[in-house]
Formats: sequence, structure tokens, C-alpha cells
Amino acid sequence: MPGLTEYIILGALLFALGLVGFLSRRNLIVMFLSTEVMFQGVVINAAAFARFHHHVEGQAFGLFLLVIAAVEAGLALGMAVLLFRRRGTLDAEAWAGMRG
Amino acid sequence: MTLNVAHWLYIVFALGAVGLYLLLPRRKSQGNRVGLALGALAVAALLVVPALRIGAPGGHNGYFCLFSAIALLASARVVTHTKPVYSALYFVLAVIAVACLLVLLEAEFLAVALIIIYAGAILVTYLFVIMLAQQSGAPIYDRTAREPLLAVAAGFALMAGISSQAAEQHASSRATPVVATAVGSVATPGIPTGNTATLGTVLMTRYVVATELAAVLLLISMVGAIALSKKQVPPEEPIPAPPLGLAGREVQPF
Repeated sequence: MPGLTEYIILGALLFALGLVGFLSRRNLIVMFLSTEVMFQGVVINAAAFARFHHHVEGQAFGLFLLVIAAVEAGLALGMAVLLFRRRGTLDAEAWAGMRG
Repeated sequence: MTLNVAHWLYIVFALGAVGLYLLLPRRKSQGNRVGLALGALAVAALLVVPALRIGAPGGHNGYFCLFSAIALLASARVVTHTKPVYSALYFVLAVIAVACLLVLLEAEFLAVALIIIYAGAILVTYLFVIMLAQQSGAPIYDRTAREPLLAVAAGFALMAGISSQAAEQHASSRATPVVATAVGSVATPGIPTGNTATLGTVLMTRYVVATELAAVLLLISMVGAIALSKKQVPPEEPIPAPPLGLAGREVQPF
């Protein structure tokens, strides 16, 4: 069966895909969808460590990750709605003035 | 051996990075098919090692290849599609593939929770917001990417670093196989054993504080989301004008 390394590389690939999306897309909603893709990679990693180290704690961490993802999605979408009401666009570049 | 696993992985990741760069939305959207073909080629090259062992006994190599390919390609489309609705739907596909991989990893509860929470709750919220904030046609910010070359380079660097470490670990663990020890699953009489039961036992004993904290965190985020996005309801009766000198002191959020 596929070993731990295969699952780690798969999880890292999902994380990297999400990272590329978060860095390069301009739509706020797609940016947050990319963070959810990153979460998928991390959940795979946690479950793979749980499986290959015969330890259930990885799955517990996976569940907490789901909680964090739900919290993040709720707040991020609330913020996206707020920002959309302010500027009438979902473009992240519209808020470039907040750059320090 | 000059060409070891790490070098081969670098080549595959470079191929995938070029495909992803071509797939990212740009002003002139050519190279879309080339990018998709390159990405599919990279995924196929990545999965060739597990695929060679499909016939091997005691494995789910075929299922692993299938679901990994679906997850990777769907995730690539999530980050590259120009229409947010399609991105969200591809994300559902990726979530389902990841849930299948979790079933392969014997994390059944986590897999079902993933489908219910992601595909059932989070995605509906995303789609709702996308529909709410939809603009006519494809706006310019969906059709152009911001610094795609640098972003893809950052992703490639991350993957190269992780995979070199993972390949090193892989080689060393081949030499000395890790002896697995069961620590978390102490069988207690009267308590049903099994993956989900063990998970519940651990959550309710060792991580009970963390579980409570997670519940509080969810509550806080619910309050925060409501406070962020609540609409200013106009009052029933007209508010009397504030006395002179106080007008404009309080700035309403909307």
C-alpha cells in the first residue's frame, strides 16, 4: 500500500496549490477557497500520520482543523460581504491602499 | 545512482509548475489546453510509482492513484478557474476525493465529517456569497492573476524543500523500518473499540479542554460573523437630530 511519504507529498502538493492560488488570485472569495485547499492538504497529513504511527491523535488534530476551517470560512465570508458592500467589488487590489 | 527520487520529484514539480503557470488566468488566455495537458502529465508522472504497484497484494494503490489524481486536478482547477462558481464546485470534487483518501487511511469519521462540514456547510456558504456578490460578466480581476510567475515559483520552492526532506526520510526509513506502537488506543473493558470509538474516547478524555475550546471558538466566530455582516436596519421612527456640535461624532459603519 502507499506509504507515509506518498501521503506527505500529496498533502504538500495540495498545500502548495492552495498557496499559489492564495498568492496569485485577485478575487477575495477565490483567495479564501485556496486557503480551504491548503486545509485539505493538512488534514491528509494529519490522518496519514495517525494511520502510519498507529496513533489516533492525528485524527483528533484533523477534527480540530475542521473546526478552525469552519471558523475561518465564517469570518472570512463575513468580511468578504463587508468589503463588497464598502467598495462594490471583490477585487483584492481595491484595498491596496491598506499596504503598510 | 545519480538520478535519485528527489531529482525525479523536482522534475515532476517543475513540469507541474509550468502547467499551473499556463493555467492561471491571464489577459490573453492562450496556453490553457497546454497547461492542462502539462498538469495532467505531471500528475501521471508523479503517480507512476504507486501505479506500478497496483497489482501488489494488500494495498489500495489503484484507489490511491485515482483519488490523488482527482484531488490534485480538481484543486488545480479551483485555483485557476476564472469563474468563482466553478471554482467552488471543483472544490466540492476535491473534498470528496480527499474524503475517499481519508477512508483509505482508516479515518472514516473524519472523512464523513469532512464531507458534511465542507461540502454541506462551508461550500453552501461560499456559493451563497458568490451569488450575492456576483457581477455581470467576468470581471477583470477574475481574468488576470497577480504575479503568477512569482506565486508559482514560491509554490515550487515549497514543494522542492518538503519533497527533498520527505525523500530523505523515505530512504532512511527504508533502511531501518519504524516499529509502530499503539499508544493512543488503550483497550478498556466495557468501551467499544474501533476507530471512531477510540477517537471519541481520546477527544473526551485527553483533549476535553481542547474540545471545549473549539466549541467556544465556534461560538465566538458565529458572533463575530453576525457582527461583521449584519445589515444596518433603519429605525422605525425618525431619530431626533443630535444637538449641534455632536453631529458627525459617531461614524456609523455603513
